[in-house]
Amino acid sequence: MTVKRVVYGLSVLALLFGAWGFYDRLAHGHQNAGYGSYVVWGLWVAMYLFFAGVAAGAFMVATADLLFHLKTFQGIGRAALWVALVSLGAALLQIWLDLGHLDRIWKVYLQGNPSSVMAQMVWGYTLFGLLLLVSLYLAIRAPQSSALRVLMIIGLPLSLFVSGAVGALLGVQASRPFWHVGLFPVQFPVFSLASGVAALLVVIGLFGSPTDARRASQLHILSIATIVLALVKLYFLWADFSQSMYGNVPQNVEAVRQVLYGPYWWAFWIIQLALGTLIPIVVLAQPQWARNGGLAGAMGLLVLIGFAAARANIVFPALTVPELEALITAFSGPHLTFDYFPTLMEWAVTSGSIGLAVLAFLIGADRLRLLQYKESA
Amino acid sequence: MSEAEHAPGVDRRTALAKIASAIFAGLAAPAILGEVEAVAAPAAEPPAALEPPPPGVQEDVLLRMERDLARALAKPVEQRRWVMVIDLRKCVGCHACTIACVAENKLPPGVVYRPVLEEEIGTYPNVTRRFLPRPCMQCENPPCTPVCPVNATYRDVDGVIVVDYDQCIGCRYCITACPYAARTFDFGKLYTDGAPDAAFLLGGANAAEYQRRGSYEYGEAIERRGEESPIGNVRKCHFCRHRLAEGMLPGCVTTCIGRATLFGDANDPDSLVAEMIARPNVMRLKEELGTEPRVFYLM
Repeated sequence: MTVKRVVYGLSVLALLFGAWGFYDRLAHGHQNAGYGSYVVWGLWVAMYLFFAGVAAGAFMVATADLLFHLKTFQGIGRAALWVALVSLGAALLQIWLDLGHLDRIWKVYLQGNPSSVMAQMVWGYTLFGLLLLVSLYLAIRAPQSSALRVLMIIGLPLSLFVSGAVGALLGVQASRPFWHVGLFPVQFPVFSLASGVAALLVVIGLFGSPTDARRASQLHILSIATIVLALVKLYFLWADFSQSMYGNVPQNVEAVRQVLYGPYWWAFWIIQLALGTLIPIVVLAQPQWARNGGLAGAMGLLVLIGFAAARANIVFPALTVPELEALITAFSGPHLTFDYFPTLMEWAVTSGSIGLAVLAFLIGADRLRLLQYKESA
Repeated sequence: MSEAEHAPGVDRRTALAKIASAIFAGLAAPAILGEVEAVAAPAAEPPAALEPPPPGVQEDVLLRMERDLARALAKPVEQRRWVMVIDLRKCVGCHACTIACVAENKLPPGVVYRPVLEEEIGTYPNVTRRFLPRPCMQCENPPCTPVCPVNATYRDVDGVIVVDYDQCIGCRYCITACPYAARTFDFGKLYTDGAPDAAFLLGGANAAEYQRRGSYEYGEAIERRGEESPIGNVRKCHFCRHRLAEGMLPGCVTTCIGRATLFGDANDPDSLVAEMIARPNVMRLKEELGTEPRVFYLM
């Protein structure tokens, strides 16, 4: 209960800080953003990738209960769907505020370009959001209905598609060797599943009902899944970076160097690797710790933070390497720089989005009794 | 020779500076001081083809390109193939093309269509500098257009890649796709941002107003107000299509002091650019990507 109160308090504070960011963004457009015409995508795009991944991954976890009816996961499907829905909301809020013209988003639906991966992704996520909404409704009102099962069957490949589309969004760009990796659309669904599993670890670990007998085994299985997926993720990382270095394409090598030894090396070594991957692997590998709600939840949180850093480490470095080297000094002006660190306004908007998502989750979970399996079943 | 240059105690440099200032004041002051009546240029007839010079007389390449342009404009638009040729041996790195482009298209701070990249090559004492103007490559196989989620950027019938400001949602996906960094985002900045709005300063409040007044890109007056386009849009070089429509060469071509930038219709075998791109010392940037740029460099 105390943890929940603390999280409520922190979310309100995050939202208050975010309110200033939202105001600044809406009143002054992109003027106070740190991204520019060279590093065109910043924190919000990275966080969009992150939240969208959590949404797709949480849905995949939900299928364990609502489609495959695995006994251990019984009862967590609704909570997982709610996690997916609020994460998707945060993702869409982030990417919407990143647009130059917020009022023109309808054009993607009515005048969209079918050959654009971005348009495909927007349509896919819209469909996915609607599916989440209806699935959650059915999971609460009619959990045994065949309609829910059909939606879960449709939703599983759709969640793979939308999470893969995020990888394709970057992967199709031949002009950015760091992104132009054929396996990106394959890797991203794995990243999504890993972040979805970590999100459920947080939800069940920190907010799950202590009286639920299944909680400990759920945490244990989710912990094992987290470890396996973290190892797969590490292998992907090794494959990407080692091939880039061996390939020795200058622009690609420079991007990898930026991640490993650039000004924000700590985001990779400390946040992404140490805190977000290695420590959770070590802790969750101990069965007694993995079954401990607080500890497992904290490790899930670390994994999520690591994933957020990983998304930033995918988006930013590719953009901080000039397409033509002399561009760095060719013309000076605001927003014409290859250095990027998010401004306070950007942090505030992201903070507000996180605060909003967490508050929505907590309020929804309480009101809809999503985490009280025994009482509602 | 003017009287100023003959006046005792006034050297040639000072006299030239005064003349330049007077010309600048005559051109810019009415605009800055409030006399900024936007007058749409009347649609001009394509210029009549100039007579070629008599045999043995060397003419300015601008005159030849104007003749080429007149011939091209007389053809159906789909039969034209605009290309730009930049002779790197003639470029002196004066940045006049960059500034001309900024002035012609009224580009705000942070938006640039044609920077000149400077590189220092070699080590002392064998050192040289290389200047590489970089407009939009107007690729025949552009990576920037298929990624646009709303078809806001596309290759028009004359082959020029354009941006529909009223359609662009400002997602900047096209910027990430361009291998030449030829696109910039309009963040809505003004040159007078943060400057004191004092009446005694040149132009006073009108200086900001002047910047908001329309540029004539794409042949229409596009004002910069609030969050309206082109603020929040991606912008790029379009070979000064509004000038071409009036029978004028792009701004960067006419201002190049070394005549290093050439422009014309490559489908016309008699044009200067067709002659230049047939030379063996021609190259294009990042050929390996298969983008087929329409900007050629002479080495």
